[in-house]
Amino acid sequence: MSEEEKKSFWQNMKEVIYGMASHDMSRYALRTRASMEHLFILITMGDMIGIPILPPYYSLRLLPYVVPQISTWKRRLLREKDVSDAMF
Amino acid sequence: MSLKQIFEEHPERRYIMFGGKGGLGKTTFSAATAYWLASQGKKVLVFSVDPQASLSDIFQKDIFGKGPVKIMENLWAQEIDADQHIKTYQNEIRQKILDMYGFEAVPDEIEQYIQAASAEPAMEESAIFDAVVDIVIGGEYDYYIYDLVPLGHALYYLSMAKVYDEWITKITKLREEMREYEEMVSRMKREKETEEDQILTELQYIRTRINASSSILTDREKTGFFFVIIPEEMILIDEVLTPDSSRFWPKDSYTPGGPQKSFDKQYLRDYLRTLDWKKEPPAPQLPPEVIENTRARYLEALKRLAGRS
Repeated sequence: MSEEEKKSFWQNMKEVIYGMASHDMSRYALRTRASMEHLFILITMGDMIGIPILPPYYSLRLLPYVVPQISTWKRRLLREKDVSDAMF
Repeated sequence: MSLKQIFEEHPERRYIMFGGKGGLGKTTFSAATAYWLASQGKKVLVFSVDPQASLSDIFQKDIFGKGPVKIMENLWAQEIDADQHIKTYQNEIRQKILDMYGFEAVPDEIEQYIQAASAEPAMEESAIFDAVVDIVIGGEYDYYIYDLVPLGHALYYLSMAKVYDEWITKITKLREEMREYEEMVSRMKREKETEEDQILTELQYIRTRINASSSILTDREKTGFFFVIIPEEMILIDEVLTPDSSRFWPKDSYTPGGPQKSFDKQYLRDYLRTLDWKKEPPAPQLPPEVIENTRARYLEALKRLAGRS
């Protein structure tokens, strides 16, 4: 086995172990993180969908950073929910 | 005890506020105190948080919205123009969005939000609050004299630091929790570094500003608050229970949670807002029906309260 093959073998092993042990956990953590992100936008920019939340003055400072997420945020908050949401 | 004595005995008192009811001499006292301190060789800034400030009148110089203006040796005066402050702030936000994402124009829904936010009732107070933070955080003067708005508004203004403080503490906490999740994921994925959370950085920046302001407002050593009062019946008769200081609403048309039919100068104010007038002299000529309608409101208040016209 050449040096290179050895390296890629270990690399693969590492990924398999990661997949078995912690991929699910990190996926779950990322999902929680995403929910919190949407919650965060809601409590700072709620005004945008008609929930009057004070104070908007300093919220404006945060606005530039959430611009890319606004549309997914709105879609997620305003869409209808169904059973399959709980499964994935 | 005279004011002079207070300043001589407490040289550490650098933030001086004059508050009280309208028309009693808050501006007069602020200006006089500032003048006296400046002539003692202290570097003084006297500023007004009132949208209808009268420092311009007292110094006979138009200083509204012009930043600190030098009046004489050691004495600067400033009147905050909240509208202008809001406009500048909005433009900064727009520019930041354009710069960050390389857009040609601010997206529609974002633009609408920026505009709607400026129409919020608390926006003007917040802008003034923020402008004052800018002023006091600089720290380049020996004395800061606050010429406050009439009492009700002033209390609201002073309590803003507390409201903001609670708001920012809560959302910073949420943001920090989010941060923990992010770090956990990067540990599991064995990434070396997590990207810096710019929102958290921004929140911490806002927080230092609010803390700077509330630490001044609550400092017993450095801050003095003077109530301006005049023990005269005449002053009370002039002000108490006029439709402009006490709001009267007709009971039959009263509905909670909305604007009320009122008997004050709001009607005139609303009319002036429909005009394309920059709030500078000369004031526009009022059409006879506006004069008549305004008069009718006060007459109706008189009739309803006193039973005669």
